[in-house]
Amino acid sequence: MLRMNHLSKVYRTHMIETHALRGFDIHVKEGEFVAVTGPSGSGKTTFLNIAGLLEEFTDGTYLLDGVEVRGLNDDQRSRLRNEKIGFIFQGFNLIPDLNLFDNVDVPLRYRGLNAAERKRRIDDSLGKVGLGSRSKHFPSELSGGQQQRVAIARALAGSPRLLLADEPTGNLDTQMARGVMELLEQINAEGTTIVMVTHDPELAARAARNVHIVDGQVSDLVHPAQPVRPVAVATAASAR
Amino acid sequence: MFAYYFKLGLRSLRRNPVLTALMVLTLAVGVATSMSTLTVLRAMSGDPIPSKSDRLFVVQVDNQPAETPEGEPPTAHLSWIDARELLEAGDGLRRTAMYAVGGVAEPEGEAGNLLVNGLAVGADFFPMFDVPFRHGGPWSAEADARGGTEVVLSAAFAERLFGDEDPTGRRLRIFEREFVVTGVLAPWQPMPKFYWLIGGNNRFGETEDVFIPLQTAIANESNPNGNVNCSGDGPEPGYTGLLNSECVFMQYWVELADAGERTAYRERLGAYVEGQKALGRLPVGERSRLLDVREWMVEQDVLGDDTILQTLLALGFLLVCVVNTIGLLLAKFTAHAGEIGVRRALGATRTQVFQQYLVQAGVVGAAGGLVGLGLTFGGLWLLARQSEEVAAVAHMNPVMLMATLAVAVVAAILAGLLPTWRACKVVPAIQLKTQ
Repeated sequence: MLRMNHLSKVYRTHMIETHALRGFDIHVKEGEFVAVTGPSGSGKTTFLNIAGLLEEFTDGTYLLDGVEVRGLNDDQRSRLRNEKIGFIFQGFNLIPDLNLFDNVDVPLRYRGLNAAERKRRIDDSLGKVGLGSRSKHFPSELSGGQQQRVAIARALAGSPRLLLADEPTGNLDTQMARGVMELLEQINAEGTTIVMVTHDPELAARAARNVHIVDGQVSDLVHPAQPVRPVAVATAASAR
Repeated sequence: MFAYYFKLGLRSLRRNPVLTALMVLTLAVGVATSMSTLTVLRAMSGDPIPSKSDRLFVVQVDNQPAETPEGEPPTAHLSWIDARELLEAGDGLRRTAMYAVGGVAEPEGEAGNLLVNGLAVGADFFPMFDVPFRHGGPWSAEADARGGTEVVLSAAFAERLFGDEDPTGRRLRIFEREFVVTGVLAPWQPMPKFYWLIGGNNRFGETEDVFIPLQTAIANESNPNGNVNCSGDGPEPGYTGLLNSECVFMQYWVELADAGERTAYRERLGAYVEGQKALGRLPVGERSRLLDVREWMVEQDVLGDDTILQTLLALGFLLVCVVNTIGLLLAKFTAHAGEIGVRRALGATRTQVFQQYLVQAGVVGAAGGLVGLGLTFGGLWLLARQSEEVAAVAHMNPVMLMATLAVAVVAAILAGLLPTWRACKVVPAIQLKTQ
């Protein structure tokens, strides 16, 4: 589903060169639920942005669902993002002056679907997250957990192959976080690949596989049953 | 997607009401200022008779004395001597000399007499200038020749005297003579009143009350009701003295079959001038010329420097408003950076973001246009207070109404180009993290 080989990302200013990712290797198989952990500044978000085609990388290769991403122009990347990827953000990132229906409608508009098909998908995905009856409400009228459910519905409406979640429960209390996590597990069980960045070891433990990033490299790839153990040399081969 | 962007644009108006109100008001004031002056400019500079403005000519025969400085334009008016000669020569498809007459009308049954403004013209005047008739028609060429006592009334004057009744054939005493009404004009008010621009400040005013045959006015010794300019020692005493003098008070128009005949007519005019020179007249007659309707309006400075300056200032003000709108749109779109990041993450291309925000700028422009339309009416009302001349043309028409809206939308889109370009350059990764 997602394969990065020897990928690097360097931020350059006229004085400083920062290596956010270096020799980064990862392979996420279709249907996997992968949790990405690591300390602040380790490169988790950079990895997620590159995986979501929101940022370009400096070197290496990235195959998304078999498509070589390097060399795609902005329009092609936007279309690929729209068709293959769903995003869930820590801050929900709903558009405040659109109601739930219109928020979920956003990616479908860019897909160019007709009105009937869009309505069917919006109703389905809002129903799936338990908010079918509140489609005319605005985000400010919902709790944090409900807003995150809307964000999940928006991500699901486009039937993405890959769901990228950046601290999806970071702004939620324990009970709401549990609810969101159960929803993600259910989505994964239905076949959607999920890559989730989290600081929460408990949440990470619920993923099928953990990837630990340190200093822009994959430090270790472990099953949650095993302890996370940093190693000196990053290798993706151990995960395969 | 346009309908979607338009809907989002309407919604965005509500998002920052104060900022939106500022933008709409800024645009509205700029558009209203420029459109109210442009409305006046357009009315003043428009072609009053587009179907034949290139083949209707004012003939200027310059009878100024020999010592007239070089570069001096020929006199706008003609002497009766030249007008009569040109009429008798009969060149062109149609022709008329004319001069303003004034006097008193003594209508039957009216409590008192009425002052009337009139124009003494040839019968060709009416078809030449496409004058519309409500009742009857012009007098005949035969009446022209014999100096008949036929009269044509303006719509307003006929209504004042006879109400809705058709007065054709009725008798009316004006200028101390009995006239028979042969026709009543339909409402007719060319803007500007190009056929009679000289000798008054009524260039955008109403049509004359009455039109009488030129020969009748001459025979009746009706004095010119306007400027009479004489060079040298001036005329001999009496009306005949005026007619036989070099005093100018007549205007002469000729209609040619097509614009291409201009050169031929100009040659015939040259030949006439040469003939008169041989008789000891027209020492600077070689300056004589033909001017078509548009040239004539420029020559007579119909537009006026004040109007042009006012329009330029108003357009400059619109530019200032557009620049201000750029700043306000930048502020508005910067506040949308987070939403732009989300839309980009959800699959919007840069082009789609550009289109969305440009449409949004257009919606602001449309709102500004609607408010500006109201302000334009106010602006025209204020302009109309300047003078009667401006009041006559300071009216909104459907073309200018649509133009007002279009100018507002175009101005807003132009103002929106830079903010929109910056909006589509938003880096989604940064915005999503800072949301």
